Parts: sequence; C-alpha cells; structure tokens
Amino acid sequence: MNYGATRKFSTTPGTRDILPPEATRLRELQSVVRERFGMFGFQEVITPALEYSEVIEEPNLRDAAFKLFDRENQMLILRPEMTTPIARLVAQRLGNSPPPHKLSYVLSAYRRASVGRGQSAELYQAGVEVVGSASPAEDAATIALLADVLEAAGLEAGAFAVALGQTAFYEGYLRHAAPDAAHEVLEALAAKDLVRVDEVSSGLPAGVAAAVRELPRLVGPATDGSLLERAAAYASGIGEAEAALENLREILRHLEAHGTLENVILDLGLIGRRNYYTGAVFEVYAGGMGFTVANGGRYDNLLRRFGESLPATGFAISLERLLHVLPEREEGSLLLLVGGGVEGTRLAGKLRLSGVPVLHLAEDPGREAAAAYARATGAFRMAFPVPDGVELVPVDAPETGETLPPEAVAGKVLG
Amino acid sequence: MSPLRVAVPKGAIFEDALEALGGAGMPVEVLRGDDRRLIYRVEGVEFITSRPSDVPVFVEYGSADVGIVGKDVLEEQGPNVMELRDLGTGACRMVLAAPAERAGEVREAIEHAEVVRVATKFPNTARRYFEGLGRQAEVIELHGSIELAPLVGLSECILDLTATGTTLRENDLEVLDDISGSTARVIANRGSYRLRNREISTLVGAMHPDGGTRG
Repeated sequence: MNYGATRKFSTTPGTRDILPPEATRLRELQSVVRERFGMFGFQEVITPALEYSEVIEEPNLRDAAFKLFDRENQMLILRPEMTTPIARLVAQRLGNSPPPHKLSYVLSAYRRASVGRGQSAELYQAGVEVVGSASPAEDAATIALLADVLEAAGLEAGAFAVALGQTAFYEGYLRHAAPDAAHEVLEALAAKDLVRVDEVSSGLPAGVAAAVRELPRLVGPATDGSLLERAAAYASGIGEAEAALENLREILRHLEAHGTLENVILDLGLIGRRNYYTGAVFEVYAGGMGFTVANGGRYDNLLRRFGESLPATGFAISLERLLHVLPEREEGSLLLLVGGGVEGTRLAGKLRLSGVPVLHLAEDPGREAAAAYARATGAFRMAFPVPDGVELVPVDAPETGETLPPEAVAGKVLG
Repeated sequence: MSPLRVAVPKGAIFEDALEALGGAGMPVEVLRGDDRRLIYRVEGVEFITSRPSDVPVFVEYGSADVGIVGKDVLEEQGPNVMELRDLGTGACRMVLAAPAERAGEVREAIEHAEVVRVATKFPNTARRYFEGLGRQAEVIELHGSIELAPLVGLSECILDLTATGTTLRENDLEVLDDISGSTARVIANRGSYRLRNREISTLVGAMHPDGGTRG
C-alpha cells in the first residue's frame, strides 16, 4: 500500500469533510442560532480568520494556534477562539458607538489537535459578546439567551444544564483568608484537582482549611437556596467575597425572571481558565456528552490589552457538539420526482410553487435505483408522474403508494 | 436516569479499587468472578473494567461517570477530568534508575548535562522531569518490561513506577532519583460531576481511604 499517496489526499489531522445530511443540519442549526441572536438584538460581525499572533496573549492558546508568516515575515495565527478577535474589533472600530456593544458571530476557530484524542482542529462556533456593561443583568441575559438558543435548536429544557460559578467569590475569600496559599489553591482548582486543593489547605488554620475544602465543592440546583447560605456563612465579613455572592444572587434573580432558573446548577468551584474570567463563569452540559456544549463568562480585563477598559461577558457554543446531542430529526419533506420528460419538468415547477422541495431526477433509472437514489439524497418520498397527477411513494414503505392530483401533493408532503 | 457507570482499572490497584467501592456500599462482588466480561450491570450501577491508562479516557469522554486510577497515569496524560479524592492506596514511587554498576557514570552524565537515553512508559513525565532539571534526555517510549532496556543497551537509565523496589533489585537497578509519589485517585467526568453531583459526592464521600482497613 502506498501510504504517501493516501496521506496526501486525506484531510489534515483534526479536520473533516462534512457531508449531507450533516452539513444541512449544521447550516440549519446556524440559521436557528442566528435567528435567536437577532431576537435578542445582537448584531453579527465577521472577523478575519487570520490575526497577528500578538493579538492572543494566553500561552496555551498561542501554542494551540496554527501559525504562518506573511510577506513581511510577521507571525500570523489562525484565530484559536473568537472572543479576543471581537475584543480587538470593539477596541479598534467601535470607539464612536455607544456601549454596550452586543455582537454575535457564527464562525470557525482553529486549533492544532492532538491525534487520537478526538479533538477537532476546526471548531464550528456561534456566540455572543456583550462589551461595555458590568451589570449582572447582562450576565443573566447571556445565559438566558444561551438557554433559549439550545431549546430553539431542539434540546429539551431538562436535557441540558448550565453550571454556573462566580470566580471572584472563591478568589476573594482566598485573598482575604489565605493570601499565601491563594495562588496554589487556584492553580489546583483550575486544573480541577480537588485533591491538591485539600493538600494545600492542610497547612492552613482549621477553620480556613474547612472553607477552602468545602467552598469549591458547593454544587447543586440554583433553586436550592441553602447552597448560597452555606457560602455566605464562610464569606461573612469578607467584602470582596460578599460582593461576588451578591452579584451571583442578582444574576439568579434575573435568571428567574427570564424563566431559566431550572436549567441552572450552581458550582462555586467552577472558575474556568486561570486568570481569564473575572465574575460569572458557566459551562453547558447535556446528557450523553462528556464535554461542554457551550461555555462563557465575564472577562472584564481582556479589553485592557487593546487599550480600552470595558467590562464584558459572553459565550461560545460548539455547534458540532450541540448537533451531536440534538435528538434525531424527524422526517423531512424533500420529494424525489422521477422522470416524466417535459411534463415532469413542468410538474416539478408546479410542486415547488406549492412549497414542496423537489429534487427532479430527469432520467428515470427504474424504481429500485430511484429508491436507492432517494435514500442517498435524503428524500423521504418519491413521485412518479402519471396521467392527471403523480404516484406518491414513501421510500421506506413502497406498498403504501397512492395517486394524487398535483395540487394535493403539498398538503400530503408538508403535513 | 441511567445507572452510574464506574470505570475500574485492572492490574495493581484493582483490589484497592474494589475495596474502596465496596466500602461505599457498591455491589463490587460481581467483579471478582474471573469471567471475561467487560461490562457488569448490577443494582443500579454499571462497572466497566479497563487498562489503568484507559480509565481517564473513558471518564474524560463521559463514557464512564466516575473512575479510579493512579496519580501517575493522571500526571502522564493530563486528562480534563475532575480529580475528587485521594484513596491513599496503591502507593508507589516514580523513580529514575540505572544499572548499579553504571549508576555513578549515569549520574555524572546527567550532572554534566550530557544527553542520556531514558526508557519509560511515561514519556511526558520523563520529558517534564528532565526539563525541570534543566538536563537533556532522549526519551524512548516502551509499553512493557522497562527494566530490560538498560540491560541490553537500549537506554542508559529508566524512569518507572515501583511499589516495593523488588523488580528493580532483581534486575540490579539502582534508584538515582525519587521523582514523585502516586496513589489511587477518584476521578469524575466534568458533566457527570455537575449533572449527578449528589450521587457522585455521596459515593466519593463514602469511599473509605485505605478501604477502611487502615483509616
């Protein structure tokens, strides 16, 4: 076997061709997402796939980015995520428009993937950024929009959960109660290593150690008020932590007003990427998928990198993962019209006018081959022109075929 | 709701894992029968058994909700999972070792920042260790009988896990450096940890370190 030739024509590691019907589903999902973003007043932006490498600061993201060089030998990267390019865009272009800027995008990000870990190098994303408001109501509104999008896409309300944390709470507590251990504890928590958190806490005074161990383990439904009460008991008298907790309560009040509180799980140990999020932080999980379907949070420091001091919050949805957890689509309405010569062509036009999507196979290959073609193209019904109408035949139940006048087809097919 | 799925590693920490799970009231006896099943469904829980190094993979992808695995494996793979509890069992050490008669030579070579060849099942750990020392090494990844490598000249030293040191002694290998310790850890999928927190926290809380026998 000639492996060299095989490699040359395959897609590069982590990328893939997306075929029908998946490509159709992805496009449909993108249009649902766009429509919902629009309903909340977000305006779509498009940034270039290439950015100067300096735009991205975080070492892990820079490492993960594909790099290339332009004619001046400047290092460029394929954007490894969307939030930073949008922060750059806001700082550079929107200085004259009044904040908050409510921007959305439906674009791909690119990361070098490790082979064998099921990672994609091309990430189909959709998301929003709210730049220029520190209000907890905006955090709640982005979470509510996210839940709205997921439900509009077809996920049932009980089929997903938004895990919500507040990075400033635990950080604030640590800075006050255990300033020397704070760095190490937060590094451990960012690595999701609660064992290490416990190890570091063992060197602290007993009361503080108990709080350091318990606070990041406070996880439960947002409707359960006792969780925040326990957190408040530890935070009592620590201004920074109390303020963070009040911020979280305000977010929850707004989420309740949005009607999405049932979808939210509080997790006071959720802090996201280290040194990035500054307040609310959230991740969406759906049954049957071990990875986050979407994530986001407040990042009030990012814009400083571009010379602006604007607080911001937002989220990104992984569209491929979302597609993966959506229930199977029910029967579509594509009709395969087979043959019929000039009359067939006329019929195809007539049916499309009545709203039926028609794939016209001009040459009749015979019933069996037509059925195979219908399956391959995602058509659920075939139509064969007959005098005074069409014979309508379901691909998977040919015995239930019936003859109808052309004007009755739309009612039948579109249900 | 589907039953909680627990990934149990075969091999050295299999018994420790069963004791900890059994101590938490899980019906682990089914796992002791020596049949060749891969999935065991009993009383509202599913067990899967796998190679220790595969446990984090099942858990990261959510194909298992919870798993038990050595810290050595977690450090090598760096999976994106929640690390919830140290069971304290299955204690072993990650060491750098070389044949006793050449130990001095190898130690000197490392000190002088010469490139040494090191055979290991833990290439990432080895790379990090030598980078941390500011020393250079050619890391050779093997999948079994690491001790063989220096005996036949494939490498000058090895980086491997040892519980009692017996295998090292039998092969006349001397420990050059004690790198880190490892014990059995309970890990959970990030989504399961949030979606099924009560179940998982209760289970993990009820697992006795040392299977309850020493602690």
